[in-house]
Amino acid sequence: MRQILIIDDEDDIREVASLSLEATAGWKILTASSGSQGIEMAIEHQPDAILMDVMMPGVDGPTTFREMQKLPSIAHIPVLLLTAKVQGVDKRRFADLGVAAVLFKPFDPLTLADQIVEALQWSTDSSAINHSNSESSSALK
Amino acid sequence: MPSLAADSMNQDSNPDTEIRALLQELWQRHLPSTQERLDLVKSAVEAASAGHLEEAVRAEAQAAAHKLAGNLGMFGHKEAGEVASEIEYILKTYTPTSVPSLVTFEQQLHQLLASYL
Repeated sequence: MRQILIIDDEDDIREVASLSLEATAGWKILTASSGSQGIEMAIEHQPDAILMDVMMPGVDGPTTFREMQKLPSIAHIPVLLLTAKVQGVDKRRFADLGVAAVLFKPFDPLTLADQIVEALQWSTDSSAINHSNSESSSALK
Repeated sequence: MPSLAADSMNQDSNPDTEIRALLQELWQRHLPSTQERLDLVKSAVEAASAGHLEEAVRAEAQAAAHKLAGNLGMFGHKEAGEVASEIEYILKTYTPTSVPSLVTFEQQLHQLLASYL
């Protein structure tokens, strides 16, 4: 079973995303309410992917991602940034960070898992995760 | 966190329907925070209309509108979320000349959500 870590400071976003991914994809969901907590949980649980909000108080999503990239034990985990609709220039900025994909809020709870599968090019019938940066980053091209 | 979805999926029924029912439960559970965000926006609009919108109030209302813009559509209130996004943008680029638009969008947001609060 795939395991997804959701990092977002808003309770309702975490709960709806968890509900969505558990119910539609059957994935195991972990949640963290801050970037620092998310890093700790990623190290401990080694999730298959991380869905992280961009705007968080304190340490924001991009900063958290950069910190993750410095840690060999979790640098390989694909990260999807979750943000309100942004201008093209912002999307390019996120792409330059090296994240796997950028997903937009508000998301549709019924299709969020599909968006993640598509962005990460996961096969739908295998639990094997492709951690290749070159493949996962194609969602931003 | 309790697995609401797993409990729900044990029932022999349409998964989409079950998810929507669970989303409705979450909407109800988070109504207080939604109402708080709406109140922050309303207070800022009232202050702007009265000609004394302080920076701290504007910034707080902008953050509240941002959260509403991100969350309302998730619960099925897509149009309300788009209106909240307009309010966020106006508050971000606020000038006294934008007060009429701000008032109009705030009233529209209230009307769209009135029967769900």
